[in-house]
Amino acid sequence: MTDTRADTRPPGAGRAVLGGLHALLGAFPLAYFTFAFVTDLVYTRTYNLQWQYFSIWLITAGLVMGGASIFFGAVDWLVTRRSGTHRGAGWHILLTLAAWVLALINAFVHSRDGWTAVAGEGIILSGIVALLMLLAAGMSALTYRRDAR
Amino acid sequence: MKIFLATFGATCALLAGCSDPKFDESSQTGPNPALPDPKEFLLPPVNVAPGKGWPANRTPVVAAGLQIRALALGLHHPRFVYTLPNGDILAVQAKSPPPEPVKRPKDPIVAKVKNKATSYPDGPKAESRITLIRDADGDGTPELTTVLLDKLNSPFGVVYYEGTLYVANTDAVVAYPFTPGQTKIAQPGRLLTLLPGGPIDHHWTKSLTISPDGTKLYATVGSNSNIVENGWDAERDRACVWEIDRATGAHRIFASGLRNPNSPQFYPGTNNIFVVVNERDELGAHLVPDYLTSIKDGGFYGWPYSYWGQHVDPRVRPQNPNMVAQAIKPDYALGSHVAALGLTFYTANLLPPHYRGGAFIGEHGSWDRYTPSGYKVVFVPFVNGRPSGKPETVVNGFLDQAKGRTFGRPVGVAVDRFGALIIADDVGNAVWRVTPAGWHPAGAPPAAPTQRR
Repeated sequence: MTDTRADTRPPGAGRAVLGGLHALLGAFPLAYFTFAFVTDLVYTRTYNLQWQYFSIWLITAGLVMGGASIFFGAVDWLVTRRSGTHRGAGWHILLTLAAWVLALINAFVHSRDGWTAVAGEGIILSGIVALLMLLAAGMSALTYRRDAR
Repeated sequence: MKIFLATFGATCALLAGCSDPKFDESSQTGPNPALPDPKEFLLPPVNVAPGKGWPANRTPVVAAGLQIRALALGLHHPRFVYTLPNGDILAVQAKSPPPEPVKRPKDPIVAKVKNKATSYPDGPKAESRITLIRDADGDGTPELTTVLLDKLNSPFGVVYYEGTLYVANTDAVVAYPFTPGQTKIAQPGRLLTLLPGGPIDHHWTKSLTISPDGTKLYATVGSNSNIVENGWDAERDRACVWEIDRATGAHRIFASGLRNPNSPQFYPGTNNIFVVVNERDELGAHLVPDYLTSIKDGGFYGWPYSYWGQHVDPRVRPQNPNMVAQAIKPDYALGSHVAALGLTFYTANLLPPHYRGGAFIGEHGSWDRYTPSGYKVVFVPFVNGRPSGKPETVVNGFLDQAKGRTFGRPVGVAVDRFGALIIADDVGNAVWRVTPAGWHPAGAPPAAPTQRR
């Protein structure tokens, strides 16, 4: 989220846009990665390949949108970091990056043919990524509330 | 930056593993191939040699005592060759069917990578046609090269019987009235039997042969996926050999569980039908060996549930232990990923006697491993109608090892009227002819009389 509130200067439009884009785009991987875990679960119970296709597209789209979100978040952080410390931001960054890298590995696992694209490493990675994304989003929300006070 | 470093690190880790494990390749040919444990990858090993065509004065390399010459050059992706009773040779050329509908992000990427290997930018473009090559005096220089049939639908197999030329397009067997000697077919063909075609048409080459008594045709229909990743519905009536009644066009499944069978051939003088089969990918550089096998009526050969008998494939769900238990072990392994597509038995007298009664096999070449395999024509000796002994390389030199490119890639094989070995080369756009070194057709046998209509 935009952290211009700690700055005494009036918030710059540019910074607001950066932070806004970061938050807006970040909503996509949060939804996509968590839903990919759900579609993985359904696949392992139904053997219906459609659910596996859902998973790999969700993971791919999550990587694209997540990559864009990380980019704007990183620029925003570089611009605003001198204007005060944001406690909790470090965790948010670490968790998000870890989730993105694991999701990338998971995209390769999910590109295998058949059952083992999901069963085994695939669904475990999907679960970890979903958990990290939820934690990262939680951290972000806490930081926002604290800074907003 | 961290992302960059992490991605970079992951890429290096992947690249570090870019060679196949050490393996004795010869342990994977013959009736009892060594089968290492299956491996699954983040990025399966891929090494696609792009085509570049044959430079002038360069040919494939043949075994001692033989010579090779181009019978035709500048064709449009020839994949199969067939000798008519009068000695004319048919070169079946084929365009691939339209691309499969995309189901996963992986699909367009894999298609692009594989396409690199089947054509080259300034080469002749693939066409779906059959070219007739007439070299009546057998000197290796055709008197006539002409288009017999054009604008077909990705044809592959062709067989002639009593006034009819049967062509296996990717979606149907079509019958044309034909008299050997004829050089052009103008009439439209008659639909004999529909075959499983698109919209998904993964293994699209349908080959054809005829029973010794002439009553039945046998058409191969490859699977619609590597290992059922396109769903079970897409596999209906696939991964099998069809038996088609020549008179009525009615069909039944003759043998199944054959992932991508091609070039069915009856062993001369018998009712035993043999076929070469391409096995599954992405289980490692040394799994699963492609094979040559005889097929039994009603026989099941494993795909997709298991390979080489009872080795269960972990990627298939739901599993089927009953089918695994039934799976017949193939006769003879040819090596992993060699992509055997062509098969012909040798009964003529022209080539050295050693080759009589054995099989020539065209191996199109690998993509799913780092060290190339295949890209050659091998000979498998037979004893008492069964494969026996190690395969021997007969024609090699299709791959430019130093530059990692292919001059050509062998596909279908046949024997001409003089007893020379004929090879279709789809990337080189050539048809090659192998004879004994220094041979001239002085004592050439007379052409077989034209069969009645």
